Amino acid sequence: MLNSSLFQRTKCLDFCVASLLVLFSVAAQADNFKAFTADSFQEIKSSYEGEEFLLGLWSVDCPPCLVELEFMGKLLELNPNLPYVLVSTDPIEQREYSQEFLEDFGLTEMESWMFADSFVEKLRFSIDANWYGELPRSYFFDNEHEMKSHSGIISRELLSDWFSSSLKFQ
Amino acid sequence: MARQNFLREFFIRSLTIQLLCRTFLEGGVFKYKAINVIELISSYSKTAVAVFSILLLSTTAVSANECDTSAQGLTSVDCGATPSATFDQNGRLWLTYVQDQHVYVSHSDDFGESYSPSVVVNKIPEDAEHNGENRPKIIVDADSNIFVSWTKKTSPRFTGEIRFSRSTDGGDTFETPRTINDDELFTGHRFESLFLTESGHMYVTWVDKRDLEANIELGKDYAGAAVYYAVSSDQGQTFSQNYRVANNSCECCRIAIAPRGPENIAILWRQIFGVTTRDHAIAVLTPDGKTMEMGRASYDDWQIDACPHHGPSMVQSGKSGDYHMSWFTNGDLHQGIYYARYSFEKASPEDVYQVDGSAGAGHPYLAEYDQTLYLVWKAFDGQQSQISLIKSIDDGKSWSVSEILRSTSQGSDHPLIVNKDDGLFLSWHSDEHGYVFEKFAGRALGLSYVE
Repeated sequence: MLNSSLFQRTKCLDFCVASLLVLFSVAAQADNFKAFTADSFQEIKSSYEGEEFLLGLWSVDCPPCLVELEFMGKLLELNPNLPYVLVSTDPIEQREYSQEFLEDFGLTEMESWMFADSFVEKLRFSIDANWYGELPRSYFFDNEHEMKSHSGIISRELLSDWFSSSLKFQ
Repeated sequence: MARQNFLREFFIRSLTIQLLCRTFLEGGVFKYKAINVIELISSYSKTAVAVFSILLLSTTAVSANECDTSAQGLTSVDCGATPSATFDQNGRLWLTYVQDQHVYVSHSDDFGESYSPSVVVNKIPEDAEHNGENRPKIIVDADSNIFVSWTKKTSPRFTGEIRFSRSTDGGDTFETPRTINDDELFTGHRFESLFLTESGHMYVTWVDKRDLEANIELGKDYAGAAVYYAVSSDQGQTFSQNYRVANNSCECCRIAIAPRGPENIAILWRQIFGVTTRDHAIAVLTPDGKTMEMGRASYDDWQIDACPHHGPSMVQSGKSGDYHMSWFTNGDLHQGIYYARYSFEKASPEDVYQVDGSAGAGHPYLAEYDQTLYLVWKAFDGQQSQISLIKSIDDGKSWSVSEILRSTSQGSDHPLIVNKDDGLFLSWHSDEHGYVFEKFAGRALGLSYVE
């Protein structure tokens, strides 16, 4: 009886450890964030070759970014196929903070990157030499990947002007 | 370092989950039970031990570029972040920095060649902000009291508190930190600056969101934040109530302070003019809470509804008594790092000069020594960050060609200048070089003299 109980307990513990390993992997991938390095911008562009897309740079340390994320969250509800890539300039070690924001605005399913190099000047430069780090910052790439940029909260007018197809707004 | 922290947190979490899991299985009651970590690991299967071993090995791996804790101890300015430094009247260098949710203070009697063991300021860990625009500040008065201020982040939503502590025993111990903002609101109080006047009045200024909150309650729009301050007239024992300087400041830039007479101060900050123009304002503050001589200090026409994360620098001219200012802008009229001299009498900026208009240039810092004005800033050429220097011997009317003081091909902090009676020192932290403290102007200091 005792042996059986011990066996069951050991099995339970093993099950627990196994579950835990699963939990580890789930916890490690509880968000969508990918590490943004000096090559990532080219990688993003390549993945959208021949297609237009919008790149949104943001940070948890930027109040106007919050306004933009809320706006984009609502816009994506109405336009779920909008090609939108998020890049957070916060260090990827702070992914939990960033994830909280994206959850609030329904943006957790978007392609999302976070800065993964303390040499932030190089990362900024890899995107745009003329970007000084102000946030939010948006880049739109048309089908031929001609780039248009904007500093500050993105507007309905700007998006309507940039995207070739008409967008639904509330 | 960051990877280490992440893995360490991951490891602790895994232990917590397993601990709860085991307690549940053994006792049938889901409650926390203290347990020795070794005992816990030994009670598990070989697989679990192997997993933990890998995790433990990962947490102890240190890359070549990180600080060397075996040589410097667990806490040191090289291993920490965002240092600020000052000299006391005896020529001892004092510095403060952040490491692992603690603010530390250390000193050096050989101009930064070696440092004393660090003394912790906040015994209870708290999220002391440490990024380019947010760092702890340190001042030592004539009686050797040491004052330290910093911003404590209270949530990821831009909320924070202005914290202050002092040492009255020469830096051996620090008082329990106090919160200086007196509104008891869970809102933004950030980007604090600390300044001690000749008269002994200690000013703390900061960016405050209490008025934004009040307006939201009333259903009204409110752009940006506000600038507030408090004053101590008794060496940091007590502080005055909080005084508002201005509504509608930019919410994410440091504030620059310089003296205005023996007891007043002049402050320079990024202000929202009109709806979205984020240029600079200047004003004089008094110890009894009055704001005077407010004026517009820069006309760049930077219309932006965004966070520049770029605060200005300011020193008072020893020649004219006017105010040397330097700042970053990306406005319609000006783009890049600029210099100008502000006269309260004329209420306008003069000799406006573009220091560096190249992409990636930012974070200027000014200092004056022996009637020469020095300006350092950080630039990026696509491969390296460079700390550059220019000088003016005619009160900012004309400038020397720039020279590069330091460079790095890794991450780095903003450059700061520390004044001493016989020269100026560069204070700069980088991943590659650790903490650099070196004399770049003034009388010779052994081999580190550069002029």
